[in-house]
Amino acid sequence: MAIYESDLPGVGKKFEVELDGEERLIIVTHNTGKREVFLKPDADADGEKLFEVSDRLARTIGTILEGAYFQPVQTERVETMLSDETFIEWYGVSEDAELAGRTLAEARVRERTGVSIVAIQRDDEVVPAPSPDTVIEAGDTLVVVGDREDCREFETLLGTVDEP
Amino acid sequence: MAETALIDVGVLFATVAVAGLVANRLDQSVIPFYIVAGILLSPYVLGSLDLPALLGTGAVPHGEALALSGESEFVHLGAELGIVFLLFFLGLEFNLDRLLDARERIGKAGTVDLAINFGIGLLLGYALFGAFVPAFFVAGIVYISSSAIITKSLLDLGWIANDEADPMLGTLVYEDLFIAVYLAVAAALAVGGGDLGAAARSIGLAIGFILALLLLVSLGTAWFQRSLDTDTNEFVVLRAIGITVLIAGAALALGVSEAVAAFFVGMAFSSTDHVHDLERLLEPVRDTFAAIFFFWIGLETDPRLFLGVAGLVAVAAALTTPSKLVSGYLGGRIYGLDERRSLRVGLGMTTRGEFSLIIASVALAGADAALAEVAGTIYAFAVGYVLVMSVLGTSLMGYSDRIESVVVPRLESPRGGAAPTDD
Repeated sequence: MAIYESDLPGVGKKFEVELDGEERLIIVTHNTGKREVFLKPDADADGEKLFEVSDRLARTIGTILEGAYFQPVQTERVETMLSDETFIEWYGVSEDAELAGRTLAEARVRERTGVSIVAIQRDDEVVPAPSPDTVIEAGDTLVVVGDREDCREFETLLGTVDEP
Repeated sequence: MAETALIDVGVLFATVAVAGLVANRLDQSVIPFYIVAGILLSPYVLGSLDLPALLGTGAVPHGEALALSGESEFVHLGAELGIVFLLFFLGLEFNLDRLLDARERIGKAGTVDLAINFGIGLLLGYALFGAFVPAFFVAGIVYISSSAIITKSLLDLGWIANDEADPMLGTLVYEDLFIAVYLAVAAALAVGGGDLGAAARSIGLAIGFILALLLLVSLGTAWFQRSLDTDTNEFVVLRAIGITVLIAGAALALGVSEAVAAFFVGMAFSSTDHVHDLERLLEPVRDTFAAIFFFWIGLETDPRLFLGVAGLVAVAAALTTPSKLVSGYLGGRIYGLDERRSLRVGLGMTTRGEFSLIIASVALAGADAALAEVAGTIYAFAVGYVLVMSVLGTSLMGYSDRIESVVVPRLESPRGGAAPTDD
């Protein structure tokens, strides 16, 4: 396998990847970050454009191809990635949760787990910026921001019935 | 200079936007459409229409009040900023290390292109005007291909993925470097008029200024790097524009080409980490002001002058289309491409555009009484020539399939047909 790299002044860079046989994959990386991907049946043929994607999408596709990117779809909870290591998650508060009935100040969630409760969904209402004396009730949905490990910590806090 | 009302600026941008829309629908380059829009709104066309009489009402202002003037301060300054940003981007793309890597092929292909096309331009100019200075301007106008249009066409047609993109872009880089030096000399020649002594002095000043800029570029990398070390886009854009326009303006105040100064400022930034951000953030700024530049070129053009230069444009197009075809073809061969791709290089390089117009505006701006009439003719010639060559060049690229199927078999069997080369 050979990869040819060349500069395209005013445009960006071009990578030409030899595939099995005569085929070549051409990737044009624009200065703007956009990627255009072409396929040539052989070295002398004209490139046929397959698709073009933004910088961000190209990186995601790249990591999938690399085998490094795996984000399982989980139906029991909603999870949104803010960045590589920060998530927004939605957690339901069950009847027997230790947090139910306590104020945020009493629950000391941030000290104990590292996550922040940024909003509380209660029935059809949303408490956008809960204050320390907001009471968490059973049936609430807590909107939580934190990194993966802190979120896991918070899950155990929700799951365990009580804690000394 | 005339004042510009906000409504005039609104008319300007709305017209340019519509012209761009039309160009897009017709699958053509925007540049000729911006120019034609300018011509239509100029005092020469719109200004000479007696609208109230046409419509039979006095409620509509008379043509002259409607027309935009190329003399108006905003349009003129906007056009100048367009030149500055176009050249700034050239410098920004101009990475010396990358160029040195490919210097042999770029050097050969670029020199063939220069010798053939600049040479023909000089001969043509001298035959028409009988003097060196106008010949020098004509040579520049017919020599330089349009980086903007050709690069855009390469992307649109998907040729960017093919081998012909390399010699085309390489030759454009060579031309761009040449044009930076050429503009410095051209601006000096225009100011000096026909007087070679005065021209020599201003060329001396220009070269001194370039050397000072080169020194600044090579010693100042750390400073240019630090100057944009900030997190907000706002500050990056403002600082980059502040530095570029300040230096370009200072150059102009000293009587040196602002375009050349902008080129070197761009080059200075090309060796910093900010290239990417600058390209991303300043591209819309460049395109906005470049549009004003092309529009302004149109405003300054009296279409009646086209009648006088129509023959000249026809002769130049007839001579310089084949010359670019040949030099492009040879450039492709230097890059080791086959007949078909080499032919494509030739087809692609025939487009002339923004730089020919910049040269024409330099000629017009600098010209004193001695040169004024010739400069006016050269200006009208350049506008007409660019209108023809930009449309012709893009069409040649668009119809390359058909042209290839006719021409390539003849190139491949030289004995069978009238092949222009010995390959």
